[in-house]
Amino acid sequence: MTDQTLDLSIGASAGRFVSPALRQRIESIALGTTTIALLLVAWELLPHVLPVQQGTRLFFTVPSRIFATLWQMFATGTIWAPLGVSATAFAIGLALAIAAGLPLGILLGRSATLNAMFDPFVTAFNATPRLVFLPLLMLWLGIGLSSKIAIVFSGALFPLLINTHEGVRNADKILINVVRSFGATGWDVARLVVIPNSLPFIIVGLRLAIGRAILGVVVAEFFGAQDGLGVVMVRAASSFNVDVVFAGLIVFAALSLVMTGLVKLLEDRMSRWRPQRAENE
Amino acid sequence: MGYLAAENLAAERLPGATFAARHRGALLGALAVVLFFTAWQMIFLIVPLNPLFFTTPAQIAAGFTDLVESGDLLHDLAVSAVPFGLGLLAAVIIGVPLGIVMGWRVRVGYALDPLMTVFYASPLVALAPLLVIFFGVGISGKTIIVFTLAVFPFIFNAASGVRAVDRLLINVVRSLGGRERDIYLKILFPSVLPYVVAGARIAVGRALIAVLVGEFFAASEGIGYAISRFGDIFAIDRMFACILTVMVIAVVLTEGIRWAERAAFPWRASQ
Repeated sequence: MTDQTLDLSIGASAGRFVSPALRQRIESIALGTTTIALLLVAWELLPHVLPVQQGTRLFFTVPSRIFATLWQMFATGTIWAPLGVSATAFAIGLALAIAAGLPLGILLGRSATLNAMFDPFVTAFNATPRLVFLPLLMLWLGIGLSSKIAIVFSGALFPLLINTHEGVRNADKILINVVRSFGATGWDVARLVVIPNSLPFIIVGLRLAIGRAILGVVVAEFFGAQDGLGVVMVRAASSFNVDVVFAGLIVFAALSLVMTGLVKLLEDRMSRWRPQRAENE
Repeated sequence: MGYLAAENLAAERLPGATFAARHRGALLGALAVVLFFTAWQMIFLIVPLNPLFFTTPAQIAAGFTDLVESGDLLHDLAVSAVPFGLGLLAAVIIGVPLGIVMGWRVRVGYALDPLMTVFYASPLVALAPLLVIFFGVGISGKTIIVFTLAVFPFIFNAASGVRAVDRLLINVVRSLGGRERDIYLKILFPSVLPYVVAGARIAVGRALIAVLVGEFFAASEGIGYAISRFGDIFAIDRMFACILTVMVIAVVLTEGIRWAERAAFPWRASQ
């Protein structure tokens, strides 16, 4: 393996039979999977190489056991009930965040006065981890579904609101003037310029919101819930059932990756012809 | 309203405009905050106040004064600040060099990118119960949770900083006989700095989550512990005082970093 650095990568890696771009792609996929595979193998072999002490063995596990547990959870169907509870909170919270975030974002994008008035609140709530409100929400709403939904909602709301606002505000002023000159009404302006322009922003907001919503489900279930995959994980952790904790993490991570990946696909499709946009995390 | 208002606002920022016109946005914001707290205070003149679940700004202020005078608040903040600071420091020390190497060495980037993406995208908070079991509920456990959550923004931002480096600079250093070490010290480290600061803004938010998670789980002191304990004993006024303190700290940290970004790297902020 040569000592390859960034600036040489273009042109220097030209193969004789395959195009450089394809070669690079193959190389990147191969190297990426190798690393992950090596890591898993090393983890699996660790207890065979290093003696694991009796005390540590309580919380030690290997990938094969984690995947066996995961398989078991799916095969026996024990995962569906808690997963369903978590998914319900996720879906309702995210739906509410979309229903509230988009109109509010459009409103704030169109009115400079309202925007100036709401700005301190949006900034403050967006900067603060919503987790800080969890004890309060548990007090107000109990430890059932509603406090979970509230946490998911408050986490997912701000990326959607801020990105919608950004998209509406960045609508091309010249285009708006052109449409107006041709006698467009306010609704026409929205339909022809503002909404198409802000859609890619909203999709980015949605991707960030999904991540925040999953995070919200996890933390809400860790501290104030009776049901859900997060609850299963915490109970497993306190009885030193490490396999279940990792299995749960894998499920959450897989769901997060799949959903954000799907939105990312949509995003790439929609923004293929657009200049690069800065993300608003 | 609407776009017209935005244009007017810009026009009013001309040097000749009055103070009120120039700071219209900030004044409106301050007005809204004052209105909000006044409304909050006044609503309980009409609606009966149930002190078990609700509180007023006046009571929160009293609770805040109590907490400050007894020194409890400062103590809890200091306790939480240690793992917060240590975890972030470790995240910078490990994340930035790792990100630079991942950006500069193409094959290292290929090898580590998918793994890091999986970690970054998954809700790593879910590991908190395990980390607490492994490392205990003290400073080390919390520090490691903070590190785990905060390291990834640094890695990814440093890597994309390297990928955006001007190739010309590298060729210049090479042409003048610079070695690999010179490239790292003279080009890569300085040019990823703005990206690292931008990453710090995200990392600070994640680090706050980490501290709170660690302290909600199992702790006997710290600001997160204070919030959940005051909730347990229905001391809503002091609970709100702690929550508002966390909010102020979060805003000061993120806006402070944003300000530092604009002040230190004005050419980037304009983008």
